[in-house]
Amino acid sequence: MNETFSKSVKALQAIVGERNATDDRAICTSYSRDQHWHFVPAKNPACVVRPGTKEEVRSVLMLANKHKIPVIPYSTGINVRGLTIPVHDGSILLDLSRMNRILEINPEMKTATVEPGVTFGMLFEQTRKHKLRPAFPDAPLTVSVLANYYLRGIYQTSATDGHDHTISYEMILPNGETLKTGSRALSEMPYFRSGVGPDFAGMFCAHPGTCGVVTELTAKLYRLYDNRKEYFIGFDDVGTPTEFIYNLMHDELAASIRLVDNQSWLEGIFGTFDYAYEKLPKFVLCVLVEGVDGIFDAKDKLVRKYMNESGGQVLELPAEFARTFEDECLGGAEKSCMVFGLPGKGNYHCIGLYGPLTQAAKYYEVHEKTALEVGIPKDHIHFYIDPIYSFHGQLCYFELDVFYDGSDAGFGDKLRNYNAKQFHRLLELGIYGWFRPYAGIIEPTAERIGYLAEVWKKFLRVLDPNEIMNRGKLF
Amino acid sequence: MEQEREKEILSAIHHCVKCKLCSIASFHPNVEWLPLCPSGQYYGYQAFYAPGKMEIFRAILEGEITEPSEGLLNAVYACTVCGACYEKCKQITSVELGAPELFEEMRRELASKGWILDVHKSIAEKIKETKNAYGEKYKYKAETTDQNADVIYYIGCTARYRVPEIADAMLEIFDKLGLKYQVMGEEWCCGSVLFRTGQVEAAKELVAHNVEEIRNSGAKTVVFTCPGCMKTFEKDYPDMGVELVHSTQFLTRLGNMNLKKDDLKAAYQDRCHFGRDFGIYEEPRALLNAVADIKTMKRENEQAWCCGSGGGVKSAFDDFALWSATERLKEAKEAGAEALVSACPFCKRNLKEAAENEEIEVYDVVELVNRCLEGRLR
Ligand SMILES: Cc1cc2nc3c(=O)[nH]c(=O)nc-3n(C[C@H](O)[C@H](O)[C@H](O)COP(=O)(O)OP(=O)(O)OC[C@H]3O[C@@H](n4cnc5c(N)ncnc54)[C@H](O)[C@@H]3O)c2cc1C
Ligand code: SF4
Ligand code: SF4
Repeated sequence: MNETFSKSVKALQAIVGERNATDDRAICTSYSRDQHWHFVPAKNPACVVRPGTKEEVRSVLMLANKHKIPVIPYSTGINVRGLTIPVHDGSILLDLSRMNRILEINPEMKTATVEPGVTFGMLFEQTRKHKLRPAFPDAPLTVSVLANYYLRGIYQTSATDGHDHTISYEMILPNGETLKTGSRALSEMPYFRSGVGPDFAGMFCAHPGTCGVVTELTAKLYRLYDNRKEYFIGFDDVGTPTEFIYNLMHDELAASIRLVDNQSWLEGIFGTFDYAYEKLPKFVLCVLVEGVDGIFDAKDKLVRKYMNESGGQVLELPAEFARTFEDECLGGAEKSCMVFGLPGKGNYHCIGLYGPLTQAAKYYEVHEKTALEVGIPKDHIHFYIDPIYSFHGQLCYFELDVFYDGSDAGFGDKLRNYNAKQFHRLLELGIYGWFRPYAGIIEPTAERIGYLAEVWKKFLRVLDPNEIMNRGKLF
Repeated sequence: MEQEREKEILSAIHHCVKCKLCSIASFHPNVEWLPLCPSGQYYGYQAFYAPGKMEIFRAILEGEITEPSEGLLNAVYACTVCGACYEKCKQITSVELGAPELFEEMRRELASKGWILDVHKSIAEKIKETKNAYGEKYKYKAETTDQNADVIYYIGCTARYRVPEIADAMLEIFDKLGLKYQVMGEEWCCGSVLFRTGQVEAAKELVAHNVEEIRNSGAKTVVFTCPGCMKTFEKDYPDMGVELVHSTQFLTRLGNMNLKKDDLKAAYQDRCHFGRDFGIYEEPRALLNAVADIKTMKRENEQAWCCGSGGGVKSAFDDFALWSATERLKEAKEAGAEALVSACPFCKRNLKEAAENEEIEVYDVVELVNRCLEGRLR
């Protein structure tokens, strides 16, 4: 470590307190790897800093900016794509988990304002008192609400909620300036996304790195209904259920709709008790209907009508199964995201993408084809579709999954081969976009987006001329 | 470390997906955010949570960490090895990460390199000299009532030298019930603290001595008031062909004690080694229920919050130990308890110290049994 850097650690300790900044090698090592390590190799940050306030964040950023030290914001570090693993030597890992206050829950506005360390579990514990909930990703409820919304995730637990739950936020830039988006810029009311001029909230979101550090974010909350009902319908192929999915989406009938294959997500979702998953049809459509009295009954009636016409087999699954599905769709994922217990398939690799429902069968076909080509056994290949409201462009999230044993280095090689082929093939086939532009996926994509890549680059340079934010994650 | 074992450990570590669900108690169906890992909750850095510690172990095994640092020793030893993380992980992932074993193995690996805290080294020295973990001069606690008794009561260092009221209560119970028992002529430390801090070599002499004493006694049953000692006998001692039972199991088994129930509102502190290692949750509760009005806390059984003293934490990181205990006392008070009752001298000692500024009593369950015992077996 160079001399400037060790001085910087002292300076950082002066900002956040001695206990909250360290360059201890072992402590840094604990941040060096996530489950994407076959693709993003382990690397230690040079130091970890744990600010407790916005002002501390600002001072840290200004110091880093002055010395051109790369900074990696980290809210809970559970992004599973190596996004918080440093690229460069001498990086500061900015662990924001101490900033974990729920600043406001506003039942009238149906909003919550949170700091980066607030997790979905923490938030829901409070919002349910108002019969409200956040939109849940199918990620462990230990992940940061702010980071998840800021990265723009996928919320398959409740398709009704749509895709974007951020209303406004406050971000500190490397030069120490505070940038407020939407109505925050104008008033104390952070409740309107568009505010003045362009959609700035959208512009700073979902970069492979970041433009600054988001210190608070206001998000949408959604109603929790008392009336709920689940259905599970089995199909032998991907194509047959698409009409049923279309009908449900078109008539806006179901809260959660996911087509999953029986050997991956189903077992992972509900597999904490004995059940003969292998005997289920190859694909299962999981549907959750909810709503106020009257509307619920009408929706439920129509869902059953479409279900009976769908050509699928209505499945009687154990009550515990349905309860877990419901709990976790509307209350945060704990068991359901955990496919990691599957013997010999404890780790998970996926390519997540957005595209139209009309392409479903093609995505599945290319997934299987490429996986088999690179030597991935058939029983490790899984797939899943999640349509998204309000369904313009028949918008769906597709997940091309492979479950594998992370300790098997040879399987890691296969997956790297799979990625190298598959990113290009999917781009050729036509997709709307990726679930998160992470390392590996962004490079072939950036080549194809024409002048937008140039503009994107320039845009980032304006905000971060010294390129300190997550340096190396893009351009 | 043997190559095969190293491979096994690395494989387990690779399977951890860093979801951190092990840092909280089961969220559904009660929808409450309840931290589970004392070490992570207190220190905050990833290194103090199970997934971070595993990453450190990986780096040691793969030769990335080649020398000790303050952070390394803190992350590794400021962990109560309570096993709460693994209880949660195995419920949701069923991956093979036996975190407490892994962490003890990591400590052995560190100790083999001489990377050990001074305070733990000095405990080993004290034990070498005095045969007890506190460096106290040996005290006879009781006379053996019958050389031929089938039951031998292994008192343990903490009940002997720090919370003697537990040993006193247990001995009185034996007497009140008219049961014949033995105590060791010379009881040495069971070696728990040495095993838990990776100093396995230093424990060998203790094991040999205690095994010989027990064999010579002819007893068929060893009764413990300390689950930590019991775990050590079970896990780290050779099979002596004797039954190992905890006082709460022993007393529950008697079944027909003449107990007069108190109206004390009491919560039960699950001792980590007792519940998680032996699966014993019911007997102590049954016993407590016979003498007090049980109040249930939010985190209990497999997902109980550790009192904060185990794994060598109390001796090396007392602030952390007392903080964990205070968190637990608050929870007991929230549950409406006037007393927090454990079945372990080590828990009692730490909780009692923490309770000095809290309005709540701390007992061991045998103290309450002794208090409520009217006399002989009915
Ligand atoms: C089993 C599993 C299943 C998952 N399924 C889903 C799913 O269904 N849907 C979904 O959306 N996600 C899913 N994820 C991914 C995960 O939930 C998200 O990536 C996560 O919410 C973001 O991770 P994090 O909150 O821990 O952020 P971090 O890992 O801390 O950060 C992620 C990125 O955001 C940046 N960042 C973090 N905080 C800030 C900040 N305050 N300001 C600026 N930049 C910041 C980081 O530098 C990094 O680039 C899943 C994860 C797991 C483990
Ligand atoms: S130990 Fe288990 S629960 Fe904890 S982070 Fe690892 S996989 Fe998740
Ligand atoms: S053993 Fe206990 S203190 Fe140690 S990491 Fe696990 S839960 Fe935390």
